[in-house]
Amino acid sequence: MTINANIRRLLASAAMIALASSGALAKDITIGLTSDAVHMDPQAGEELSSNIMYYHLYDPLVRRSADLEFGPGLAESWKLADDTTWVFTLRDGVKFHDGDTLKASDVVFTLERLKKSLMANLAANIESFRAIDDRTVEIKTFRPYAALPNDLAAILIMSEDHVKKVGDAIDIQPVGTGPYKLGEWVKEDRIVLEAFDGYYMGEAKVDKVTFRPITNPATRTAALLTGELDIVQDLAVRDVARVKETEGFEVVTRPSLLNLVLALDMREKSPTIEGKNPMTDQRVREAMARAIDVTTLSRAIMNGLSTPSAQYVPASHIGHLDGADFRQMYPFDVEKAKALMAEAGYPNGFTLTLDATNNRYVNDAQIAQALASMLAKINVTVKLNLMPKSNFFGYIRVPSDNSSFIMSGWDVPSGDAGSMYSVMFYSRGKKEGYGQVNRGSYSNPEVDALIDKADSTPRVEERDAHLQKVTELLLKDIPMIPVHYEQDIYAVRNGVDFKPRTDKFIWAYELDVKD
Amino acid sequence: MLGYTIKRLLQMIFVLWIVSVIVFLMMSFTGDPVFMVIPIDSTEAEIAQAREILGLNRSLLEQYLIFLKGILQGDFGRSYVYRQPALDLILERLPATFEIVLVAIVLAAVVAIPLGVYAGANPNRASSRAIMSASLLGISLPSFWVGMMLIFLLAVQWQMFPSSGRGDTVDLGWFRTSLLTGDGWHHILLPALTLSLGTMAIILRMTRAGMMEVMRQDYIKFARAKGVSRRGMLYGHGLRNAMIPVVTIFGLQLGDLIAFATITETIFAWPGLGKLLIDSIYRADRPVIVVYLMLVAVLFVVINFLVDIIYTWIDPRITVK
Repeated sequence: MTINANIRRLLASAAMIALASSGALAKDITIGLTSDAVHMDPQAGEELSSNIMYYHLYDPLVRRSADLEFGPGLAESWKLADDTTWVFTLRDGVKFHDGDTLKASDVVFTLERLKKSLMANLAANIESFRAIDDRTVEIKTFRPYAALPNDLAAILIMSEDHVKKVGDAIDIQPVGTGPYKLGEWVKEDRIVLEAFDGYYMGEAKVDKVTFRPITNPATRTAALLTGELDIVQDLAVRDVARVKETEGFEVVTRPSLLNLVLALDMREKSPTIEGKNPMTDQRVREAMARAIDVTTLSRAIMNGLSTPSAQYVPASHIGHLDGADFRQMYPFDVEKAKALMAEAGYPNGFTLTLDATNNRYVNDAQIAQALASMLAKINVTVKLNLMPKSNFFGYIRVPSDNSSFIMSGWDVPSGDAGSMYSVMFYSRGKKEGYGQVNRGSYSNPEVDALIDKADSTPRVEERDAHLQKVTELLLKDIPMIPVHYEQDIYAVRNGVDFKPRTDKFIWAYELDVKD
Repeated sequence: MLGYTIKRLLQMIFVLWIVSVIVFLMMSFTGDPVFMVIPIDSTEAEIAQAREILGLNRSLLEQYLIFLKGILQGDFGRSYVYRQPALDLILERLPATFEIVLVAIVLAAVVAIPLGVYAGANPNRASSRAIMSASLLGISLPSFWVGMMLIFLLAVQWQMFPSSGRGDTVDLGWFRTSLLTGDGWHHILLPALTLSLGTMAIILRMTRAGMMEVMRQDYIKFARAKGVSRRGMLYGHGLRNAMIPVVTIFGLQLGDLIAFATITETIFAWPGLGKLLIDSIYRADRPVIVVYLMLVAVLFVVINFLVDIIYTWIDPRITVK
């Protein structure tokens, strides 16, 4: 089935190539984004619109496909020299937009600069690196670490000469090896990218891509319907029906990587709960999980546009446990939940506060309200503490410890559950770089040991096996209740060949226009 | 006059200082910018490094003093998010806002003043009543609704105008304008109209009230008796004397339009200051918000000053001291 689809796609693209070579028409496309990029320096911060630009302009050593499969990028191959030493061989003759050739020293420069930047986090597992010759880079990790290639997929290689030449202006004068180069950037109005004819994987099919930042969702829809846009990011839920009804457009959805989760405080004493913390009892946590009806949430609040999450990471990830489903283990069942509460000694329930955002996730405030009313049915009284995201992430920060119950989203774009588990479920304060966002203070020596094992093997299969065991333990312990994945919703004009990526990046290199 | 100007200048500096203190204090309660720019799973050490890069590791007082010292040297600080000088970010977007406000205010004046004069001079005509009813709509309809309706009807249904954006622009030095291209005008009309409706209605009503008041005065009757044409009487004698309150409102509205074009800019994806402010508040980008609000304070002071000057020109009996 998939093979068939792939063959068909291959045939289709072969036909396209034939067409393109006969006609050689210039193709352009305009894409409506929710916000403008803030800079073009891939080490200056984390933000979706800017990320989208980075991946057009720059390339990583290891490439990530639309479905999070990893393959060669600027590095044509890599191998383990010993348990902690990786050797990457760069592709021959890769050119930067300014004509310079990519060298190993550019990779070294990039990593050095990254370590001193706001995004130092991306290189957290890298201990040292050096250029062996012009095409060979050696990277050492602090310990045997199988997920290094996954991490490297998020590190974009910059040109040493160019960065040194332009200095701070790298924000507006980016030069990378990516499939597109920056044409024009009129802040808040449009970003125009032009296909780079020296791209090592072959020139993009679309010659010119214009990104238009349109904050207001209704305006984005309008601009699509007037023909000003070919693709719209984050179509408003209320406009889905309208676009579907309109001739010439279609709605494309895909479950995102963003898993909405509820972190439960596991300490004996919790900041917003009087007396002993009932959530230390597994039965109480199970009761809370059973009291939450994700089907109703999806129907009544998300307009059907959410996918209940079975685990903490999606099926594509290292560490995902095949066949295990949180919803099947703890199906919605108020009676059973009440019985568990009584069994644990809380027939009259308890009171606690839920911290949640009101401007970060799709319908977050409404979801929080719905959760409160669902939990009320098992006598758990939930007070809501809603705040904007600019306050939220500081408020729920682990060292300040204000929270008993937190709703937040978590995505793992690296495709490796370990990067989430080690910071979120490893015992706090036990090991540098581990457990820093373990908001519920969950602590299970078995989990710690398994994460240690996963992080000390350079072999992916072994890592996967250890992390799957962690998943199994987490599903049993319920330190966190997974709720749902949001759906990314796009609207596309007919004739545009667009498939959404799991990581929410719109990458014009994968696009084509048929008419 | 010179003394007056100096007094106004000192006043302005005082206002700016107050604004900077208030905004700086307020911003410290509205969230931590560091979590807006770094990945949420960063370690303590990485958070500390980010704080140092952004200069957030110092106390609020220290940050304020550094900011104040910077201003005295002409440096208004760097945006945490954009990493560029806050003033540059604002100046970059100023032309777009300036343009839309200019078109809106001219549109408002050109439409509202003649209609106001007409309605004031002929208060009992059915057409005057219709104008007044329409102006009531202009005041009471929220601009986001008007904007959406204009987009829906004129852009989506009838495809007469583009729905959003600024269109082709021309660079005049650092000033980028869309008023010199046809495409630019095509893009600016809908948002400018949306922005101007409220102001149009207010100016219309003020003009009408002023005219009605003036028309009852004896000098109008004398002018008529002396043989001044009706047109000359309305515009030469009547309007001139009805203008003082209108100019005041005009000044206030101008400031309002610049400061609060936000909603219109967001709806039409117009790349002006308002959107920058909203985004910056959203991202707790303190330096940009502070500089923006100070700029607005400067604008209000300057506009009020100009309004006072215009008074003396309209009515020589008024002097500024």
